[in-house]
Amino acid sequence: MISVSGLRKSFGAATVLDGVDLEIRQGEVVSVLGSSGSGKSTLIRCINGLEKIDAGKITVDGFDVSKPRELSEARKRSGTVFQLFNLYPHMTAVQNIALAPVEVLKVPRKQAETEARELLQSVGLTDRADAYPSQLSGGQRQRVGICRALAMKPSYLLLDEVTSALDPEMTSEVLSILAKLAKGGTTMVFVTHEIEFARSISSRIAFLDKGTLIADLPTEEFFSDKGMALPRVAQFLSKMRKD
Amino acid sequence: MRYGDFTPFDIVLLLQGLGVSLALFVSTALIGLVIGTAWAVIRFYRVPVLMQIVTFVAELLKNSPVLVQLFLVFFGLPAFFKINVTPTEAAVITLSGNSAAFIYVIAVSAIESVGRDQIEAARVFGLTRWQTLRWVIAPQAAAFAIGPLTGLLVNQLQVTSLISVIGVMDLTKVGNILNLRTLKPFLVWTAVGALYYLTAKLVAYAGGRFEKRLRAHTAWRGL
Ligand SMILES: Nc1ncnc2c1ncn2[C@@H]1O[C@H](COP(=O)(O)OP(=O)(O)O)[C@@H](O)[C@H]1O
Ligand SMILES: [Mg+2]
Repeated sequence: MISVSGLRKSFGAATVLDGVDLEIRQGEVVSVLGSSGSGKSTLIRCINGLEKIDAGKITVDGFDVSKPRELSEARKRSGTVFQLFNLYPHMTAVQNIALAPVEVLKVPRKQAETEARELLQSVGLTDRADAYPSQLSGGQRQRVGICRALAMKPSYLLLDEVTSALDPEMTSEVLSILAKLAKGGTTMVFVTHEIEFARSISSRIAFLDKGTLIADLPTEEFFSDKGMALPRVAQFLSKMRKD
Repeated sequence: MRYGDFTPFDIVLLLQGLGVSLALFVSTALIGLVIGTAWAVIRFYRVPVLMQIVTFVAELLKNSPVLVQLFLVFFGLPAFFKINVTPTEAAVITLSGNSAAFIYVIAVSAIESVGRDQIEAARVFGLTRWQTLRWVIAPQAAAFAIGPLTGLLVNQLQVTSLISVIGVMDLTKVGNILNLRTLKPFLVWTAVGALYYLTAKLVAYAGGRFEKRLRAHTAWRGL
């Protein structure tokens, strides 16, 4: 379980997260919605320890991310997929995927690379396994990014707008992989602007507004009267649907 | 052999001088590379005290003439510490230190050229600081550094000529001797200059080849 309680985070004078409570249990897909600047990325970056939190507590399977000793254990349990892929440009797809398993989990290199190829095969990239990121399209890069996260066999996937740098065609190729993962029971924290897709794969929707979680509802309740009763949510959804 | 004429043996003399220059250049470049990189790693880890010392020493070395440093090592050390320093030792110490200071500067900016996104991508999967440096930062920093490094090395090759003043038998010193004996400065210094030129071109060519290899896939960054 990922547990976030009383999380506060500021950058200088600006409070970006103001007392966020959120729990994600094994098997859930929780989509985090909210307008740009509401703190979604910061929330993800607090969970994976890329930002220091100012107050509150975040644990991943009981490991406190604010404690340096426990952070490495917490990080072994969650895999992050980045908006701009963040692949290592000097490594092939297979090397990108195998690096952390070899270095962190001490998996023998041969085995790690075999597993990397299997992962690539599962996302339809068998023949691109030895290509460098510069030789791949955006959609292909993000699929490698997803494989890189999956290679650590994480209990949780953290995804921050993983399709927002992609054109519609590439977006759908990445989303179909995520849908498959969701069906297979992968636990996900899914930050997105793809409202309809979020609705189709999520068990719950969390809605951030100016650093506060103003809704945390089962998916269908969120999209029904209960969610619409919240002015900020209604406003957000109508705006997103118009775009 | 009549005094004043060139002899076939002079070619051997020139090549010997070139050999000494090259040996000094290669050894001090390698020592400088090891020390300069080590200093950059100290800075990367922000090791307290050591980091300040490194910055201070590098500043001193960068901002004073190599010739002055050479005199300080060759004449100053024996006078002050009562230790014997041979011309070759003085040359190696001075040129290594000087190279280290400039390589340090290149290494630091090369490390800083690697984007935060790269470091985050490594850290988030649990790589330690050292593993991140070793597998993610260093290869990309090397690709960035190789161009400036080649430029520096070509320059350091020329700088080795300074050591002739303390009596090391390098290419310039051989030129000096031949010049005094034959009194044909134009011929002698043209030959010496050509040898430096060819060697510098060779260094630049090798650096260019290496750069191409290192940069094959890193030209692309981020998105
Ligand atoms: N490193 C940072 N330094 C200063 N301000 C930041 C930093 N990261 C994010 N912010 C600010 O925090 C707010 C929330 O950002 P972010 O979490 O990226 O929102 P979202 O992902 O929902 O668009 C924004 O106002 C942004 O400018
Ligand atoms: Mg964001």
